[in-house]
Amino acid sequence: MRGTGYLRQRYRAILSTTGFVLILCAGMMLTPLLALLVWPGELLQAWAFVVPAVVTGAAGLIGWRLLRPRSDVVLTVQEGGVIVLLSWVIACLLHALPFMALSGLNFTQAVFESVSGWTTTGLSVVDVTKASHVILLWRSILQFAGGAGLAIIMLSAITGPTGPAVGVAEGRDQLVPHVQQSAKLVMMIYSGYGVVGTVALRWAGMNWFDAINHCLPAISTGGFSTRVESIAYWDSAVIEAVIIVLMILGNLNFVTAYLLLRGKLRAVVRNGEVRLMAVLIPVSALLTFLLTCRGLYPTTGKAIRVAIFDTISALTTTGFSTVGYGNWNGFGWLVLIVLMLIGGGTCSTAGGIKQYRVYLLYKSLVWELRRWLLPRTAVMENAVWEAERQVFVNDTRLRQIGTFVFLYLATYIVGSAILTACGYGLKESLFEYASAIGDVGLSCGITSPSAPTGALWDMTVGMFLGRLEFFVILASTAKLARDAWSMAKPAREVA
Amino acid sequence: MASNLFIVVVGCGRLGSHLANRLSRAGHGVVVIDRDEQAFRNLSAEYSGFRVEGDATELAVLKQAKVDQADLVIATTRDDNVNLMVTQVARAAFSVSRVLARVFEPTRKPIYRRLGIESICPTSVAAELFLESMAATRSLEDSA
Amino acid sequence: MKVLIVGGGKPVYFLCRTFLAKGHEVTVINRDQQECVQMARRLKVTVVHGDGSDQRILEEAGAHGADAVLAITPNDQDNLAICQLASLQFQVPRAVALVNDPDNEAVFQKLGVAAFSTTRTIASLIEQRTALDEITNLIPAAEGKVNITEVRLPADSPVAGKSLRDLALPAHSLIAVILRNGQALVPRGDTQLQVGDRIVLITLPVNHGQALKAITGEES
Repeated sequence: MRGTGYLRQRYRAILSTTGFVLILCAGMMLTPLLALLVWPGELLQAWAFVVPAVVTGAAGLIGWRLLRPRSDVVLTVQEGGVIVLLSWVIACLLHALPFMALSGLNFTQAVFESVSGWTTTGLSVVDVTKASHVILLWRSILQFAGGAGLAIIMLSAITGPTGPAVGVAEGRDQLVPHVQQSAKLVMMIYSGYGVVGTVALRWAGMNWFDAINHCLPAISTGGFSTRVESIAYWDSAVIEAVIIVLMILGNLNFVTAYLLLRGKLRAVVRNGEVRLMAVLIPVSALLTFLLTCRGLYPTTGKAIRVAIFDTISALTTTGFSTVGYGNWNGFGWLVLIVLMLIGGGTCSTAGGIKQYRVYLLYKSLVWELRRWLLPRTAVMENAVWEAERQVFVNDTRLRQIGTFVFLYLATYIVGSAILTACGYGLKESLFEYASAIGDVGLSCGITSPSAPTGALWDMTVGMFLGRLEFFVILASTAKLARDAWSMAKPAREVA
Repeated sequence: MASNLFIVVVGCGRLGSHLANRLSRAGHGVVVIDRDEQAFRNLSAEYSGFRVEGDATELAVLKQAKVDQADLVIATTRDDNVNLMVTQVARAAFSVSRVLARVFEPTRKPIYRRLGIESICPTSVAAELFLESMAATRSLEDSA
Repeated sequence: MKVLIVGGGKPVYFLCRTFLAKGHEVTVINRDQQECVQMARRLKVTVVHGDGSDQRILEEAGAHGADAVLAITPNDQDNLAICQLASLQFQVPRAVALVNDPDNEAVFQKLGVAAFSTTRTIASLIEQRTALDEITNLIPAAEGKVNITEVRLPADSPVAGKSLRDLALPAHSLIAVILRNGQALVPRGDTQLQVGDRIVLITLPVNHGQALKAITGEES
């Protein structure tokens, strides 16, 4: 089978898998209806979920079954990337519908909210005081799903397509030597966090509904809240402490979390990201307290709490806040922006450049200095600890990281520039865009229902790119474009 | 065969990689050990197990591959002696319940049997199949 | 004694010379043609060219009549195969394998093959030579179940000037030999310990620390 015929066969497989994912997305839309058990008064809202779910579910089912390849096709990583791209775009668009129907958002705003959910960002244009319980629950579910990622969800299903392609494209490491077992394990750990976290928050003083709706966004490092003031609403050190634990857990690489659960403390302590966090969190919290918060709040205790909570929220890219930032000085703003850019752990639910890359770049500097001091002909092999073994870092890896960081920062600058073009101040634009591209969710005020369309789309794109590993999106878009053009070409060359 | 076993395959040449691909596809957790990093290219896109680069005659490498947790160890390197050693070490030091070794040299089979190692000799197997095929053709010709 | 050695290089060459000097009969199996030629020229040994882990080669080299087989190739797996063949197939009374990876020493013993690791021995010999501390661990014996340590008696030792009989050494320890002024003497109950003596101490691990403390007066 030559040329376009071969491509068509591959795309049948790709679209078939995408169809399966659509079914899962449709199923997801029915889950917030659980809230109707407690608040049956909102029953009328169900149609906004049920109708799209049924339609998409049917379309997905047809696509999956009809296009399913006759023999078993193994997907390559590049094809996995296309599936990731298509699925995420479709899911984000689809899941925007309830917002349009029920929260009175226009298309731009609804897509913004949906993307903010899936990418576990947490920037919101919804008025939570007027939102129904169903919608609030839906937002939390979006973040929970986004944190897991489509690969994990797909592989945890009892039946359906399998193979490592989609997981690798989404940037997932494996916990155990089989991709399906690994996915199920991640799901179990993640769900475990959810159950324990919800109970803990209830115990700390929230009611059940708030507990679930803050636990899910915490472990997915999302940051949606049912309250306008976010965590400030409770002003409780205990609640803040519980959420801090959940945020840190959610931002840990799942492989590291798995090691922790198995008691392999030595491997955890050697881990570069853990070490980076162990330095960054105390240092930034201390500096923020001393140079920013100390004079701002009525009690020293409150100042300490704010310094700790909000810096951790920024680094883990969660986005819960305990105060507004209008009265913070420049230093405080800078600390938050830097932490948001650095971001969380790789293969976790967090965003940003990712701690592993920053850690490697820092190590690379140390190695360069060391090499300078060694004899010219000495041979140096540089290693870091990944999971339980030493990995030798070669220049290719560092080059890829360098390119990624460049791309990230370039996008950041462009995105911020667009915001300033929309009329916002420099400080605010830099802050808000760092929050968007890093999938954080802390806001200084730019994000609101009255924000201009251009600004919202600018941030939507930033959030999307930030979640899905730039390269994958760019490369998959290129592949998709090229393949579409190939397949659309008339067959005159064959004759 | 039970599902979801943990299998360690030593050697990622043609046989090793083929086995690893099939086993991973079938749902088992697989770890492949090979001295040469290039050998891992033989693994297909569907392989979702782990790869360990190292010499399997070193205890540390076997430990890294978690042989102590393995249900089955298959030795498929080109060197009969390596296969023999790895399977014996797996059983003696790591108490692996089932071990399989490839042995090329047919005369070594009795030794393997003496030591209680289950082995597959491609040479003998191929020879048998060739002979059967020849016998079949000859009988076809005879009856024709 | 008829000794069969599989391997090559300098270690095997000097080993052959030692065995020959003691009057044993030596046969060497080696895979490399050039090396075989060299050895045949320089030593009065029978040299067989081939793979020592191959039954037929072992047979040709006279394994049936050998009293000992030493496997000293650079590959642990070959050494294992050679020794197992020698004991199972040829019933050679003593088959010893060199292990390059010290961790394999224990595993080989488990599989019934006598093994030794040069790495550990060489390391401790070098340590002796560079004797930076007063305390040096000598050749490990009996798989680490016995410690043989050399201790130089410091000036402030609590036992300097005491006789062996009056020493309060803990159980499971023994002063085997005293090296004084280049002379080795085996002490008796009335031998007095002097500052500067090098004491060879044999202990079981359980009381090793206490014994050292008793002699040097320091926590080790």
